[in-house]
Amino acid sequence: MRRVALTGIGVISPLGNTVAALLGSLAAARSGVCRLEGGDYGRLANPIGAPAAGEPVGVADPAKLRMMDRATRFALDASRQAMAQAELPLAGLDPARVGVFIGTGMGGAQSTDDGYRILYAQQSDRIKPFSVLLSMNNAAASWIGLEYGFTGPNLTFTTACSSSAVAIGEAALRIKSGAVDVMLAGGTEAPLSLGPMKAWEAMRTIATEDAHDPAASCKPFAKNRTGIILGEGAAVLVLEEWESALARDAHILAEITGYGLATDVSHLTHPSVQGQARAMQLALASASCMAASIDYINAHGTGTPANDPVETAAIKQVFGHRAYHIPVSSTKSMHGHLLGAAGALEFAIAVLAMNADLVPPTANLQQSDPACDLDYVPNHARADATLRTVMSNSFAFGGTSVALIGQRAC
Amino acid sequence: MTTYDRLVRILADEHQLAPEELQPEARLDELGIDSLSVMELLFKIEDAFHIQVPNDQVQLVTINDIVVYVDALIAQQAVALAHQAQS
Repeated sequence: MRRVALTGIGVISPLGNTVAALLGSLAAARSGVCRLEGGDYGRLANPIGAPAAGEPVGVADPAKLRMMDRATRFALDASRQAMAQAELPLAGLDPARVGVFIGTGMGGAQSTDDGYRILYAQQSDRIKPFSVLLSMNNAAASWIGLEYGFTGPNLTFTTACSSSAVAIGEAALRIKSGAVDVMLAGGTEAPLSLGPMKAWEAMRTIATEDAHDPAASCKPFAKNRTGIILGEGAAVLVLEEWESALARDAHILAEITGYGLATDVSHLTHPSVQGQARAMQLALASASCMAASIDYINAHGTGTPANDPVETAAIKQVFGHRAYHIPVSSTKSMHGHLLGAAGALEFAIAVLAMNADLVPPTANLQQSDPACDLDYVPNHARADATLRTVMSNSFAFGGTSVALIGQRAC
Repeated sequence: MTTYDRLVRILADEHQLAPEELQPEARLDELGIDSLSVMELLFKIEDAFHIQVPNDQVQLVTINDIVVYVDALIAQQAVALAHQAQS
């Protein structure tokens, strides 16, 4: 079976729009969560979110930009960064053997929201001519393919909060199978407009604002956790067939060894220990990896009452007593929940952390829920860690449960 | 200001083109204005000229084609409005 090398990472995130800035924020346990001001945000019960650290760059043509939703712009900038880091020699690539897999939960949700505002709020029939192109879920993947001329498989995965973890896992499988040699894989999400935020508010999943510090409102695994904070951004990875990457002397950030995909059918939204555990077990099995070799888990860790104790129990079921000795952190405490982009950003964080010998913290964890009794790396990152194998969990409304495993290149 | 002048202004703003490139006989495809851009342009023309562009497929190859098309619509719709006012 062919092996998969990860050679480039690009990010747009609430913790920074470069991998260096993102790592710096993680090391300092800096939160990207803030109070959202202006516009319609006053209509939200808790106007808190995690906006991207800055505006995406890289597309200069205004005629093209007018056809791109914010989520597409995020994905293109993340792709540009990932391609730059990978230093892929485009001239030597067969474009038919390069594919693009992107995950997104809500696609061009802001553009959809804008269209509805014109149609229903303004009672105007003048919907913008690019409304379909702006809001279609596959826009980001399509634009990446167009920009680079990659004619291999171009797919979009929508499995709610595990969308981009699925995209990465499936992309790795395509390389392993021999169908392609290179994949750009990741996810993007831009949900910080009134419609999507109101919809999440109506689900009663949004955290209440911390009385002292809005930036500390998301508290995964804590006794006083109250829910998620929505975040926006994108993460895109360059995956390559291992031997080709070695042959061109690429800097390999990790080998993607494990991908577990399971479906939790216990309930549409309420996770089960069995469903989550099975994704982790399948990832370990696909990596031919002993549970004992996992050095860090980037948890799904949403900060909802439902997820965190279930994920804790699932980790204990998979890892047994060793679960208590594995650092497990939820970086959503700082960057919020990027929904369809969460899996890609968090796997990227796990790999970056592994390369930096850093264990990212779970911020805002003063007192753990008694049902959450693992080592969640509370409030401060740990430097000088030795991480050789990392896991990232992504679970979703609808039940698509994913675990990814990355290993240090050797 | 003529229809042509107003069209040049819209195109120059939206597509970052120099007005001197926008001669009447200039081909839209050679200016980088593809079928999607034409669709967007017609939407903007509706606002700028206060006309309704029908959903029919029309062949617009040059800038002058658009000028002729828009002038015809302005005339057509002015006549329709006058009839409405009389009846």
